[in-house]
Amino acid sequence: MTNSTGENRRNASGARLSRRRLLQASALAVPGMMALSACARLTSAGAGAASSAAPSLQLASPTNPVKWPIAAGNEPIAAGLEPERNATLRLYNYADYLNPEVITSFEAKYAEYGVKVEISTFNDTPEALTKIRNAGTPFDIYFPSYDAIGKLVLGGLVRPLEHSYIPNISNAYPEFQNPFYDVDWQYTVPYVLYTTGIGWRADRISEDIGARANPYDVLWDPQYREHLAVLDDYREVIEMTLLRNGGTEVNTGDDALLNAARDAMLEMNKLTQPRVTITGYTDLPEGRLDLSQAWSGDLITALGYLPEGVDPSVLRYWFPSDGKGMVNNDTMVVLKGGENPVLAHLFLDHLLDAKTALTNFTFTGYQPPQVSITPSSLVSEGLIPENLSSAVVLPSYFNTGYRALELAPEVDAKWQAIWQQFKAGG
Amino acid sequence: MPSGRRSGSNSKPVADLKQRVNRLTWPILALPSLAWLALFLAVPFYVVLCVAFGDIDPLFRTSVPIWNPLNWRLEQILIIFDRLFGPNNFYLAPVVRTITFVVIAVVVCLIIAFPVAYYAAKYAGRRKALVLTLIVAPFWISYMMRMLAWVNLLQTDGIMNSIISLGGVLPIEVNWLSGKSYTVVMGLIYGYLPYMILPLFAALDRINPSLLEAARDLGAGGFDVFRRVIVPMSIPGIAAGILLVALPMMGDYFTTDMLSGSPNTSMIGSLINTSISTPGQSGQAAALLLLVLLVLAGPMIWYTRSMYSSEVRT
Amino acid sequence: MTVTELPSRRTRSKSGGPHAHGLATITTIYLLWSLVPVAVAILFSFNAGRSRSVWQGFSLRWYTWDPNGSILNDPALRNALLHTITLAIIATLITVPLGVTFALALDRWRGRVPTGASFAVLLSFVIPEIALAIGLLFLVTTLATPFALGTTAQLIGLITFQLSYPVVIVRARLLTIGKQYEEAARDLGATALGAVRRVLLPMLTPAIMVSAILVFADVLDNFVIVRYLSADMSTETTSMRIYNTARAAPTPALNALATLILVTCLIVIVVGWLLYRRWSKGQGEDGGLTSFTSTL
Repeated sequence: MTNSTGENRRNASGARLSRRRLLQASALAVPGMMALSACARLTSAGAGAASSAAPSLQLASPTNPVKWPIAAGNEPIAAGLEPERNATLRLYNYADYLNPEVITSFEAKYAEYGVKVEISTFNDTPEALTKIRNAGTPFDIYFPSYDAIGKLVLGGLVRPLEHSYIPNISNAYPEFQNPFYDVDWQYTVPYVLYTTGIGWRADRISEDIGARANPYDVLWDPQYREHLAVLDDYREVIEMTLLRNGGTEVNTGDDALLNAARDAMLEMNKLTQPRVTITGYTDLPEGRLDLSQAWSGDLITALGYLPEGVDPSVLRYWFPSDGKGMVNNDTMVVLKGGENPVLAHLFLDHLLDAKTALTNFTFTGYQPPQVSITPSSLVSEGLIPENLSSAVVLPSYFNTGYRALELAPEVDAKWQAIWQQFKAGG
Repeated sequence: MPSGRRSGSNSKPVADLKQRVNRLTWPILALPSLAWLALFLAVPFYVVLCVAFGDIDPLFRTSVPIWNPLNWRLEQILIIFDRLFGPNNFYLAPVVRTITFVVIAVVVCLIIAFPVAYYAAKYAGRRKALVLTLIVAPFWISYMMRMLAWVNLLQTDGIMNSIISLGGVLPIEVNWLSGKSYTVVMGLIYGYLPYMILPLFAALDRINPSLLEAARDLGAGGFDVFRRVIVPMSIPGIAAGILLVALPMMGDYFTTDMLSGSPNTSMIGSLINTSISTPGQSGQAAALLLLVLLVLAGPMIWYTRSMYSSEVRT
Repeated sequence: MTVTELPSRRTRSKSGGPHAHGLATITTIYLLWSLVPVAVAILFSFNAGRSRSVWQGFSLRWYTWDPNGSILNDPALRNALLHTITLAIIATLITVPLGVTFALALDRWRGRVPTGASFAVLLSFVIPEIALAIGLLFLVTTLATPFALGTTAQLIGLITFQLSYPVVIVRARLLTIGKQYEEAARDLGATALGAVRRVLLPMLTPAIMVSAILVFADVLDNFVIVRYLSADMSTETTSMRIYNTARAAPTPALNALATLILVTCLIVIVVGWLLYRRWSKGQGEDGGLTSFTSTL
């Protein structure tokens, strides 16, 4: 991996990951939203104890799959249309979260139509949604986390998909052809998968963190004080703390559980003084951190940041071997405000192509849910070194693991308050 | 603009017209900037008020500004007060921390800046231009670059650690950048000190040397001259310096972010910065900002008045 | 900033006072402390290796020839540099004329409106930057403004924040000039505006020059306003770039970026100083470095 991709990707996880969570409860003050919120009250089937209390969005969960409505006037485009000519396809994405080669190959594939792809990136999610909503720039494709779909649909911001343009969906894991957050994949196709665990440097930390009775405890261990970090992401840290406390309800609104998590987080602040950052994927390889809560893709990205002379095998990643940890995915949607719906569909299909997906993976370090990319092939083909085989996202994790679901607004408020308190420092 | 119309009746119409034109000149010249300030200073401030006293959408958790002051709600303000003085007052720690950091930093700034400014004003002699240029130099170097310089020096494998461990001989390795209050305070001092030196220099430079000689001739010792003449005469400079340094420090979040990144060194600015980028909390950010402005209003208005009176005095 | 016009006499104090030695030592230590870290940062922008703490030989790698990571070849770095300079130029071109006319008007026009306006300008100078930035952010995101976040919003914020520089500096200069020249011109039949244009403006040129340099330099340095009002990667400035990546995975290219901004700033100051000296001399005034720097 050359410096260049490293350099370009530096911001990749950085810019993207902090935003992933922000997306969840973001500003969607669509004009006439009051009318929409009436629709939103249609169902309040709950994921977890929390959502039953107030009228809210439908909160999709594996036990409560949601089939989103298709609003009148927002039907899918017709099948078999010609791609737009001389169009500029506008992607709205996290910085460097896409391999430029994938863009080049798309442009080459539809060269006869004169397509040009333009990526815009954003610094802040409320701002991103403000822009999508005001349609200042007619973006065609957006890459949300699956737990934001409800708001995007209810806000009338996304276009339902015409499946005939996207035959490559068959390359995706079957569960993503009918995901709980979007039954019948009416609006989304899957982008990449990731788990959340702990990354560390084996040359600096002698113990095998996975061997601990409760590996999460390592973040509370004073012997690593000042040399560790947690993700700058409220959902991830609180979820991790809930799991560490022995809970399994990672989307809880229960005050007792949340208060216990809060107290544990404040205790962590005192005991180990963690940095709160999403730059672990460079801090670990470059030696500024010994240990960090991390996304699986971060450790694979980190390989590109190892200084010369450092053995790649020092990077380690732990995720519960029984699969009972946080496992999530991002999606791709076609925005209603876009001017090139046909090309947008074709681009989604392009990214679901097995070869394209693999090319993209080598750049982003995040694994696409492709049937052809098997966990064993990733290791055997040397895309992921043996010592990081735990960073491979296994399809079975989606049965055993916990998923970060959309939170009811009032539950989200509680989570945010805890995060604020944690960040304020005691 | 009213003042332009006051020309009254004049018997000579041409002169009258000319006078009118002349009187209208200034309001017209002022108009673009007045409109600018109204649109981009006054209106944004009003929007902050409307957000701070605004509502939160119950479903989407976004701030809903309330434009009519008669309907303003105190919800956000109460949340802030609760976090400052309520049972779970977790805002208090960063507030106290900010005040402590700022007070220490300002005092150290003053202790360093005074002798430097005094030397530049009174003793630099032929080298005055050079000394002054060097003192002013940090102004021209971007704040972020100066912080970057320290981030480089303070890495665990950086130059600072190799100096204090005598090139790795001693087993000392300080983790400067992981939540150390002293690193952050040092960063604040380093970042803002030039803003203290300049007003001090101006005040000290203004002191007429013959005044000091007169004091000496009257039998005052060195320390007496310092205490009874120099310090009192530089009070306006000291006050201006303290304000110029303390006000921006109160809103600073990037220094602690770059030099620490740990919640244990969060400042008020960090609270505002985190809230502003969190959905549902921009109202709280606005309310917190208002409170900060309210507390700082006194010093800000005092400073503005003193500058204003020095501007109009003829 | 507050140091507007200083007496330009040469100080002739004896440089051998009792405390002079101690003071000189303190000053030297201070100057070393304030400048050496920056010098080190500049030095490492020329490092041949990736490290920012271990010297691996002199090279322009991070400026030009590194095929991917250098400023010349990394579009993100290149764009940050260009965007910063663009903002500085445009903001200066708008702020200075706006501020100079405002200063003239406020100085001559009597009444409540100008008094209030003077106060507002000064307030915009001391108000914490974060307040103005957040105000404008809310303005753009909650109202249907004709401009979106991005370059335009950044410029609006910067101009509002910088407007006080030319106003304060030009007004201070107007004070020292006094009214006699203008009145003489008016007696000779010039209109108010004509008197300003023919008589005052040439005399104000040094002050205008200085405020232009100040605004330019300050915009290059700005962080809080440009960050809150930025839109996407294309509106990222060098200060934001440094903030975003200083703790992540910086290469010496980041140092090189900061160095280039510093060089830009220095060029503007030196050119400004030369012009300043020329104009001041033309008016029979002391155009020394001391009065120039202290005006800043």
